Parts: sequence; structure tokens; C-alpha cells
Amino acid sequence: MNNVPDAEGVLVFAEQNNGLVHPVSFELLGKGRDLADRLGVKLSAALLGHGVHKEALELVYYGADVVYVFDSPFLSMFDPVQYAKNLVRLVTETRPAIFLLGATRLGRSLAPRVAAALRTGLTADCVDLDLDENGNLVQVRPAFSGNIMAQIKTKTRPQMATVRYKVMKANARDPRRKGKVIVKEPEVLSDTGIQILEKTAVGGVNLAEAEVVVSGGRGLKSPGDIALLKELAKELGGVVGSSRPLVDAGWISRDHQVGFSGHTVKPRVYVACGISGSPQHLFGMRDSDVIIAINKDASAPIFNVADYCVVGDIYEIVPLLVQELRKLKAVKNLDERK
Amino acid sequence: MTNVSKDALVQELVSIVGKEWVVTEREYMLSYLQDETPEPVRPKAANNLILVKPSSTGEVSKILRAANQARVPVFPVGGRTGLVSACVPTIPGIILSLERMKKLEVDRENLMVVAEAGVTLGDLLRACDEAGLFFPPHPGDEGAQVGGLIATNAGGVRAVKYGVMRNYVKGVEVVLASGKVLNLGGKLIKDNAGYSLLHLVIGSEGTLCVITKAIIKLHPKSEHSVTIIVPFSGRHEALQAVQKILLSGVVPLAIEYVEPDEVNLSAAHLNEKWPVQVGGAQLFIILNAESEEELLVSCEKVSGVCSEIGAGEPVLAETREEQDRVLRIRSNIYTALKPQLIDILDVTVPPSKLGDLMDAVEEIAEKYGVHLPVYGHAGDGNLHVHVMKEEGKAPDYVAKVKSEIYETGIRLGGVITGEHGVGAIRTQELTKATDEAELNLMQGIKKLFDPNNILNPGKVIT
Amino acid sequence: MSKGLKIVVLVKQVPDIEKVRFDYEKGRLDRSSAEAVINPFDLNALEAAAQIKEKIGGVVTAVSMGPEQAKDALRDALARGADEAVLLSDLRFAGADTLATSYTLSCAVRKLGAFDLIICGEKTIDGDTAQVGPEVAEFLGIPHVAYVDEILDISIAEITVKSRLDGDNYVVKMRFPGLITVTKDANVPRLPTLKDKLRSRKAEITVWGMKDLACLDEKQFFGLQGSPTGVAKVFAPTSGKKKGQIVMGTPEEKARRIAEILLKLGASQ
Repeated sequence: MNNVPDAEGVLVFAEQNNGLVHPVSFELLGKGRDLADRLGVKLSAALLGHGVHKEALELVYYGADVVYVFDSPFLSMFDPVQYAKNLVRLVTETRPAIFLLGATRLGRSLAPRVAAALRTGLTADCVDLDLDENGNLVQVRPAFSGNIMAQIKTKTRPQMATVRYKVMKANARDPRRKGKVIVKEPEVLSDTGIQILEKTAVGGVNLAEAEVVVSGGRGLKSPGDIALLKELAKELGGVVGSSRPLVDAGWISRDHQVGFSGHTVKPRVYVACGISGSPQHLFGMRDSDVIIAINKDASAPIFNVADYCVVGDIYEIVPLLVQELRKLKAVKNLDERK
Repeated sequence: MTNVSKDALVQELVSIVGKEWVVTEREYMLSYLQDETPEPVRPKAANNLILVKPSSTGEVSKILRAANQARVPVFPVGGRTGLVSACVPTIPGIILSLERMKKLEVDRENLMVVAEAGVTLGDLLRACDEAGLFFPPHPGDEGAQVGGLIATNAGGVRAVKYGVMRNYVKGVEVVLASGKVLNLGGKLIKDNAGYSLLHLVIGSEGTLCVITKAIIKLHPKSEHSVTIIVPFSGRHEALQAVQKILLSGVVPLAIEYVEPDEVNLSAAHLNEKWPVQVGGAQLFIILNAESEEELLVSCEKVSGVCSEIGAGEPVLAETREEQDRVLRIRSNIYTALKPQLIDILDVTVPPSKLGDLMDAVEEIAEKYGVHLPVYGHAGDGNLHVHVMKEEGKAPDYVAKVKSEIYETGIRLGGVITGEHGVGAIRTQELTKATDEAELNLMQGIKKLFDPNNILNPGKVIT
Repeated sequence: MSKGLKIVVLVKQVPDIEKVRFDYEKGRLDRSSAEAVINPFDLNALEAAAQIKEKIGGVVTAVSMGPEQAKDALRDALARGADEAVLLSDLRFAGADTLATSYTLSCAVRKLGAFDLIICGEKTIDGDTAQVGPEVAEFLGIPHVAYVDEILDISIAEITVKSRLDGDNYVVKMRFPGLITVTKDANVPRLPTLKDKLRSRKAEITVWGMKDLACLDEKQFFGLQGSPTGVAKVFAPTSGKKKGQIVMGTPEEKARRIAEILLKLGASQ
């Protein structure tokens, strides 16, 4: 086993798309900075892509001491074989003790290849990271669809983990921060067996980034009633989310799902309509700034996490709420004009 | 309203349940003004209504006493999932929703559950499951409430093996129109003490008294179940198979008859795919047993019987997820058809006559040149015939089609409704189909229970 | 001459997640509380294999690692279109994390001989790591495409798939041998016929243990010994009850109050 005693430092994989760093990487740098400072070691970042040099400094501004840049047309789009190969080489050279990647789909496709090649342990989809008294990484992740939480430790080095998007906090961008940018010569294969024929941005909802989310659950009686949520969401400039039962029933597409097996959201306002609040669902929305819950059942667990609890029938409250919002806005507009 | 002013009545109700639980503005009670009855046959709710949500039997009693004194009609409502507008307030009065009364206690020693009227079917099923017990009937929408399930004697798909609500209700707590609280039956398997008022109350659709609590019989959980779907070339083969299955010694929970057009429509509605795409008619059969071994022996037996009639190869849904998926598709046929639906009939005949009934329905459809989608609880002789709109409108032959189907049902020894009930929309049909002496007895009973006719007036018998 | 593709589907037996209960005091799940089922995501992998077989022919082998009772999951796979099944079962395989599991599975795939395509479910519902597929691919030195939503084209030499990674749809062509993991959107798993179900109950299932897979010097890569990660502690998710404000009043008053709050929060168009 790859138990290297002299492994030291924290490495973060800086995921980028179309030359722009994914925000999860800034979050990882935030957490990575904290871990590195506590251990008294350096925080590095690995940036792979094509024409990505300009982003390297951003990584420094968000906390990296060293940024390794691998720039090649072969790395412009995500090929897990090419990416893994270069990361494995970097890890072998620089011997970090901790290696973090975002638990995005890209990260979760890439990280296992790197871990297997390095024969090291990998913990998926962590929601918290800490250090024990010996400086070992304590990785916290949900298991069994969020029903239990597990603390996991890794015997080998690097201790690898993918970390869920939107659970760590990025540090404020500091353009005065200084760091080293090291350009590496990428090692690329001319043929990995994989050919990316097309890459197109997916339209549709962007739940993870939304400021306001209006979600529905089992309390809805039929697929058509999603219109009710849409109307409220429209009034609030938000997007429609859903708990799992509606997705499973095929009433709404999977990209609307909030919760353990869907998206984690952290909007300014989360309105839960007819959602009882299973652990799986709470997992995905409990960190929202303000949670408003409307449910007929006063004992629904959703009220345990809500800032404002409305015990009532969504079929009564939601249409009224839309009406009231319109009224209040009309008044506000009038006031503003005065 | 009579005797007292609306304001005075509202004040009295507020003094009973508190200000928060009395609603007078119509826009805040819209969902209480209708059930799942298709729009074209749905009666209009009256104006001038008061919605009250009591939290206890004591409050219900006070409300009824006040209403009775003031001679104000009371319309008890549950989950509003019915199909005959039995809970629709068709004249001014009080809507009495029991949704806040949802205490529930499982009594494992007696294999019973005591549930208040507002407990939903979903809550009931979950509570039983958690206690390792099983409430066998599954009468439709899980948002339905215990009070309503009993008041309508709800049926559903599992009736072949386990019967309907009536077979499970062992006791009820009811409030009479006078406000008097009465307990009928109990945690008893046998009870022969006098006339069974309990069974009179079950299925009385809110016209005799208000059910506030019930004692319901449970079964131990049966660990293994499977759903099989068997394709047949046509309806006759499928129905022949139903009889042979029932004679084979295997007792399924459910034998449902479906046709590909309807299940595919429902599947599309749910963004799903129906797993069997062959055969002009299919049987959807749910079996349960103590062990997988036993279950598969039953499956083989059923399959053997069916193949003698030339059935195709059955497929089976075994995991909970897969069984839920196919049952959900089956259960949503109604929802999928609903936008185009005028009325759903549930004429029920002796199981052996189901084929005759279906032939007659087909003849009627041909005679009027209409499409009448059918599916039904084949094991129970309970057929759901759908009368559909044409180009978005109700054609003028609707009344004739319906009355011919009813007449056929009665001629075959059946009834006009097997599970949906009479409600507000089948009262004339009930009068027509029922012996005068029997009707007189029903009216007499109604008068004894509710002398001032304040409980759900205009429903069942008029 | 065998025609078509040689396909391997990796499956796992998992506890039925909806029924399983947790013993928070002992910090583990009560396995007796739920029956074991085939991982639901693996049904999509099996369906993908069955559809490929129908289209261009081939042989599908289902492979699973687990105790003797995991044969049930393999029988299920056989009922749903797999032609052969291999169970990797040995006390020394027990306690494996994803790395050791992937290594064990990759050894079995090597032993099976030449293959074209390995198909896995997106993830398992118990572990939920989605790591085993890509790790197996790395151990075997073959390319992989994860999160496949649709198989667009397949021939005996290569497969073209649509895969969604976060905000982008990728259309990827992969030459064989290779590995894909498929999502729930990839297909609707068929229901087995009664005939296939009954046949699968009597089917032979090959069982391989450590001695069938490993050279002596490789033993450290299996089971607990070969697992660099370990669970240090298990706990219930913090309930973190907030003291929420209960909004009182008639429905109208409630709606007005919430509307005011929303407006104050600046949540409106």
C-alpha cells in the first residue's frame, strides 16, 4: 500500500469548464486553506485544460500557494484517461498528504481513476472535513441516502476525497494574495479510446445556483398542480424544485430534485410546499438562508428546519400568497413612483 | 340558513373551535367545495357556506348540537377524493372538515388500530407498516381519510382476497345530529348484540351521523408479494381466465382487467412505460404469500390456468419499486382520462356476469357510435365504464348511454354502484333501481337518525 | 465462432433502502430490518446489456461480490437477461472498501477472458460512491464513460453514448474494450417473464474465491486488508432543530404575513 510517510501538503483539483474555474474549486480552496494552515503546510491546486493560464491567478486569489497548470488541446475537454494520467503524475511527484476534488459528476468520474492508479483510498461526496489529533483527515459523508453520517479515515496517502458542491465556504477573493504558478508539460496520449464528438450546454433549470427555490412534495395531488408552484416561483423570480416522490412519479424531471439523490441548494429563500421533510430532502436544503414551510401536518419534520412555519393547505395558502404578493408589489410600485 | 343569523352562528362556531378554524371567505375554502367527480356531472357548491375544522369529538358534538338547533345543514368532508360528490355542500350550511382529528394508535395485541376520522389512508398504511402489521384494503387515493373511507365503504383493488372497508371496521365513534356521542361495536371479532347500527353507518355517506373515530382490524404483515401481468388475445379469454383463477384455489389480492390503450395513456401521463405491449386485454394480478417459494407456486398455477386459455407469457414485478410502479400506472388511468371524462360508472354484477356486462357495454358503444373505455376490478365483477367527451363537449346521448348501462347491470343481477356510492349524482338512479319498500325503510332510518335532515341533505336518498 | 459482444455487468446486492432501519446507538444499520435486493441502478445496467444483446447479439455475464446470499441478486440478473453469473465470495473478500472491491472485480473480469464492454449502474444505493465503475476501468487499463443517459449507437467495435456531466451534455465515442456506467434515465428496465424467473432459480452460479483470483503476493489487495479507508464512527445526521416562527391566523392572514416576509427578503421580481 502506498503509505508514504513523507507525504505533505494539500492539493486541490481545480475543475474548469470552457476555461472558467468551477465555483466548487474555490470552496475546496477555502477548506483546503483551513486544513493547510492547521497542518502548517502548503496548499496547491492543479488546473488542467486548454488556454487556462489566466485562471491560475484566480486560484491564488482564493487561497492557493502554488498552482500547477497543465495546458494542452488534448485537455480542453474532459477525457478521464488524459486527466487521470496527469494528476497521477503530479501526485507522484509532489506527494501531497491530502487531495481534494469537487463531487461534481466530472469529479466523481475522475477521482476514482486517480485513486485506483495510486492505490489509495477515496471517500465520495464528503460534506465535512476535519483533522484528528494526529493530523489525519477526518472525512464526513452521508451514507444510505443520507440516513446516517459516517466519519471515514484513510490509511494511505494521499487521503483523497470528493467534496459536495455548496457545502464548503470559499474565502473572499483577495487579488493581493501572492502565489507561485508552475506550468507543467502535460503528458498526453494521442488515443485514449475515447473521442468526444460533441459537448453542449444543457438548458433548463439551474437549481444549484438559484436565489429562490419553490419546492413541492407529496402534498401535491396531481402532476398539473406543479403549475401552482411555477406561479409562485415566477412571482418570486425563483425556480421550481421538488422532493423525490414527485420525480419518481414522473411528474417533474430529475433536474428539479432537491435532496440527497438530487441537488444540494443554498438559496436565499426556500419555500417548501407540501413537503414533509424526509432526511433525504432536508439534507439538500437545510442550509438555505431562510426556509418557509407550508404543510397541513403540524408535526411534519420540515418544520424543524423552517424559519417560518405555516400550518395549512398548500391549495389554499399558495394561491393566496401569489395574490398577496401581487397586491403588495402593486402598493410598493406605487410608493416608489410617488 | 334558518333560525339564526349567519353572524351569530359563526360566532358560536368560533367559540367552539377558535377563530383560526372557522372560515367564511369563499376564496379560502375552494378546495372544500368539490371532490374528484368529473367536472361535467359535478354539482355546484352553494354560496353562503361556513368551513369549520374541529379538533375533537367534543367540538364536533357542540357543532352538531348548534347546527341542529339552528336547523343548519352540515356537510362532513374527508379527503375529498370521492367520485360522486357525496361531500359537496349543495345548499348553504356548514362544511365540517375532520382533518385536524388525526390521532392514531396501533393495538398490536388485538391486531387493531384506533384512528380518528382525519387520519389519512397514507398515514394509516405507514403506521401499520411500522408496527409490522398490514391494513389489507387499498381503496384508492392515499389522501383519503378514515372517516370518508368508512362513510363511503370504500373498496379498491385488493377486495378479491380481503374485501372492502366494511370487512375491517369493527367499531366507530359517531356523533348524532343531536350532538349525542355514540360508540358502536368495539375491539370485537364477534358482536351480536342487537341490530348492527355499525354496519348501517358504514356506507351511509355522511347522511346518518358524523364518524369521528374508528376501530379497524389489521392483519399480520405478509412478507412476500408479487404482481403479474398476463396478456390475452382479447377480453373473452381474459374474463374466462378470471373465473378459472378464482376456482384454482389461488386467492389473489387483486385481479384487475385493463386494456392496452388505457394503461398506455396512463403510463404516458406519468412519463412511464407500461411493461407489457402485447395482447388486446390484460390481467393485472397481485398475489401474496408467506414465502417466495409459495408465491412462485401460486404464480405457476395462475400462469398454467391462463396458458390453457392461450394467454401470453406473464411478466412479474417483484421488487417493491417495480410493484409500486405498475400499480401506480394502473391507478392513474382515471387521472389520465379525467380531462376528457364526463362520468365514471361503477356498475357491479356477480363476477360470472362480467363478460355479459362488457358485451352489453360494447353493444351500447356501437349503437351510439362512441368509445367507452373500460377497466375494472375483474375479480369483483366491478366494472368502471368511462363516458367521454367528444371534441371537448358532452354529446347529447350521454343520459341514454348511462341509463342503458345501469339497466343492463340491474338485469344481470347487479347494482348501479359497487364502490363509488350514490352521493349527489346517483340519487335518481338509486330511486329507480330500488324497491319502494326498501326505499321507504331507508327513508325511515334517515328520519330516525336525523329528524331535521341537517346531515348531508340531498345525498343518497332524497 | 461467437457472434456479437461479450458484455460484463457488475451488480451488487443491497438492503432495501426504503425499509432499512438504523440503530443509531450501535451506529450501524439493522440489516435484519430489510430484505436484500439487487441494487436498483444495476437494473438499468442489465437492461442496457439486454438491449445491446437484442440489437447486435452477444453474451452477458453478471458478476457480483458478496456473501452466499448475494446469489439471489445474480439470479435476478439472470431473470433479466444475463446469460451467466459469477459470484465472488470468500471470507477474505469481506470488509472491502471501493478500492478493494474494484480490484477484486477487475481480477474476476480478467479471469473471464476477453471482453468488449463492462456496464455498471450509476452507483449503489447503500454505498452511494459511484466509484467502483471508474476504479475497475483504471485497474483494467480501459477507458470509461460515466453517467450515460443514452446509448446512441453501438457496433461490435465501439459505442457512442450521451452522458451528462453537470451543466453539459457530452456525446462520446468509445472504442472497446471499455466501461460505461448508466443512469436511471438510460432506459426503463423490463420486468422478467415468469418463465425466466423460474429458470433463474434453478440456474448454476459459478462461485470464485480468493484462490481462483489471486497470486499469493497479491493477497494484500483484497478485503479489509486491501481497504485503505475505514469507517471511524457512524452517527445520526444532526437534527439541528431551529426554533421557527409559527405563522398564525386565517389562511389569508398567513399568506399576507409570508408575502411581507418574502418582500422584505427581497425575494420578488
